[in-house]
Amino acid sequence: MRRHRLTHFLATIIVISSGIVMLIGLSVKPGTMPADLASFTLEVVSVTAAIAVLLGLLNLLTVHLNRFIKAEHGWPYSIITLFTAIFVLVLRMLDHVDVWPDDMAGEQVSPHLFEAVQVSLESALAALLVFFLVYAAYRLMRREVTPWHILFTMAVVIVLLGWIPLENTEALADLREWLVQVPVSAGARGLLIGVGLGTVTVGVRVLIGQDRSFWG
Amino acid sequence: MITNAALSLAVLALAFAATLVGRLIARRGRPHMRPLRAYDTLPALAADAVESRNKIHFSLGSSALGDTSTITALTSAEVIYRLSERLAISYQTPLVTLSSMMTLPLAQDTLRRAYEYRQNMEYYRSSAAFWYPQGPRSLAFAAGVGSLAADADVTSSLLLGRFGYELALIGESALRHDQDIIVHSDLVEGQAIAYAQANETLLGEELYVGPAYLRGSALEWGGVFALDVLRWMVIFGILLAAVQAAV
Repeated sequence: MRRHRLTHFLATIIVISSGIVMLIGLSVKPGTMPADLASFTLEVVSVTAAIAVLLGLLNLLTVHLNRFIKAEHGWPYSIITLFTAIFVLVLRMLDHVDVWPDDMAGEQVSPHLFEAVQVSLESALAALLVFFLVYAAYRLMRREVTPWHILFTMAVVIVLLGWIPLENTEALADLREWLVQVPVSAGARGLLIGVGLGTVTVGVRVLIGQDRSFWG
Repeated sequence: MITNAALSLAVLALAFAATLVGRLIARRGRPHMRPLRAYDTLPALAADAVESRNKIHFSLGSSALGDTSTITALTSAEVIYRLSERLAISYQTPLVTLSSMMTLPLAQDTLRRAYEYRQNMEYYRSSAAFWYPQGPRSLAFAAGVGSLAADADVTSSLLLGRFGYELALIGESALRHDQDIIVHSDLVEGQAIAYAQANETLLGEELYVGPAYLRGSALEWGGVFALDVLRWMVIFGILLAAVQAAV
């Protein structure tokens, strides 16, 4: 219990002092001592992020290794994940050591692999999003017909039709443009202002050391 | 001329003062807050999961400690804690997924705190927090989360944090597997998708009042009061600017 109290106390002190350092550092001119201290704090965060990358990798490997050992549902996929993770890790190391033959000297193979696999897979998934969204709008109307649901579905239909490059559909394109520029933009700003205000109020609690989420 | 830094400090000072005033009001008597369906549903969802021994899936999306979504990640973790603490009496450990490695220790710690609070550490597993690569708006993350939730047979998903278009994939998978989903995103595109797919949605600032709605302390209630004060300030500011522009 005493150890926990000490941990809470230390965590609170670190959070409050880092918060104050950042607040002052961002309020003064660059090059001054508080600004330098703030950028040093940011550098510490970057180093911590790098360590967190390793933790993330270890977590991924542990989860999939356990899944494979316990033969849980979908374990063959875990083998693929483990194999791929180790393969990419080794490839990246080889890139750094530069062991490739003469015609590939100085080449980085792992970014090419990333482009070929990850980017193309994500593009393929992204292409499906529009269908999911249209289907979601349809399901929304099936679930319950309310004025807001009708408005949402109408907006989806207008925006989709507005993109069709046909002749004599300029009015729809204009309507889509107006929708995006006026009500959508206003609504988006409203949401973002709300998020900003919420962040400030919780930030105050963190700054005075009364937020418990980081206590440990 | 007011600088951005001075304005930020003034807003923070106002928020601080309003939080303290709100805390004083809350200590005198529990203030009435407008009902939010998502927060009404969540305790019942947790109770159902415990009784029926089902799993609940939480996701922090790409919200991360150390970037602009730090506060979103912390608040989401606190809401997850309030629910995990109810779920921690069951042997079914809830799952937490995320795509920022900086948030992984936070997620693990949130679950640990909940199980420690219930003195039920034998059921706590740090591996119940899953990291899926990579970064913001990752469709690989969405694909991983969707399949994990389906494989683990979860009955409800609570997605709080930063989600973009990838939310459509997670939502679609959840709906296909008959899971309830409650969503908040601090990105507009994620919020729009959430409106179409989720059973309940938390809009904009509604996430940040979550701890107050889920057995909050007087200070957290004070935060809700501060949020209202700031909201009215913004409304008056917009109206004032509109009147000034019209004159």
